[in-house]
Amino acid sequence: MDQESVKILAEAIITAGKAIGAGLCMGLGAIGPGVGEGHVGQGAMEAIARQPELTNVITTRMLLADAIAETTGIYSLVITFLILFAL
Amino acid sequence: MSKNTKIAKKVKVQFLIFLAIYITVGLINARYLPKDPREVIGNVANRWIVGPEGVWYLRINPATVVMSFVVIAILIWFARLVYKEFSLIPTRKQAFAESLMEFVYDIVQSSIPDEKYARPTFVIAMTLFLYIAVSNLISGFIPGISVEVSKVINESGQVVRHVKFVLFNDTFPAPTSDLNTNLTYAVMVFLISQYFGIKAKGIKAWLKGFLEPIPIMLPMNIIGELAKPVSHSLRLFGNITGGGILVLALSYFVKYMFLPPFLWAYFGIFSGLIQAFVFSTLAIAYIASQVS
Repeated sequence: MDQESVKILAEAIITAGKAIGAGLCMGLGAIGPGVGEGHVGQGAMEAIARQPELTNVITTRMLLADAIAETTGIYSLVITFLILFAL
Repeated sequence: MSKNTKIAKKVKVQFLIFLAIYITVGLINARYLPKDPREVIGNVANRWIVGPEGVWYLRINPATVVMSFVVIAILIWFARLVYKEFSLIPTRKQAFAESLMEFVYDIVQSSIPDEKYARPTFVIAMTLFLYIAVSNLISGFIPGISVEVSKVINESGQVVRHVKFVLFNDTFPAPTSDLNTNLTYAVMVFLISQYFGIKAKGIKAWLKGFLEPIPIMLPMNIIGELAKPVSHSLRLFGNITGGGILVLALSYFVKYMFLPPFLWAYFGIFSGLIQAFVFSTLAIAYIASQVS
């Protein structure tokens, strides 16, 4: 193989690696927040069903807990951007 | 009743004018859309940075600075508007401002019972909330200017940056989608919480807090404290930047049939307001954990 085709092959491998890495990062990173937010939502729904008069308080707390559970997903999003655009 | 219908008619006319402008802009955008998606997506993560190379403290992002001043101007304008007609019987704007402040003050008071620390914490949290909420909303409502920066390596091997201003194809760049803004506020909250902790407990008890529950946990406690500003700032940055990139990609896929501001209704208004609330609530929580 000559120099030119080696270069093209190397670039193709880099692009493929970026795409696979970004997809894996976002896909696996979204599992945790999904499970976590599901738990939070379940707890909030049960609490509201038990005490409907506390709906407002529980909803605010639920949103806060959701945002915190989301953090690891956001990390993987940031790392996906890094892989795709900055590397 | 008749007054209500009159108002509804006025709103209807305004909404129709708004829609007409948006459809015109959308058609113009669809006409001049770049054919290659890489042209749209490739510029997403590039920033417009001005300043000499290598001197880190002189390099600024003009879009963030300009948008920050726009947000500050809007907040001052609203504050003056409320202040002008300040009265015992609140008008609509005053009632809105008062209920917002009361809502945040209740959260502060429930987590920090001490009045001496509750008031400054309230001021910090409220300022952060207003600034972040307005900056997330302003980038969601109005079709604005977006800056496209492309890096090109010329024949002699130097990197040349081309700056292109594009009208109406994207929304305004939010100051909160720049990590520097968020990190500044997160570090500010971190320093204030540590200062309050020293002031409330005394320096000996504050240092002793790192050795709890057992002295071996010292590195874990230090890392746990230092991770707070990192997660605090990255959460907001990831949400707003991710929303912006998704809006850009989605509006390219639908060929500007739905303009970015409509898509921003979710990412800007819903997600943006929740993130502003979360940012200020976490600031309160961090300060409360140090004070008590």
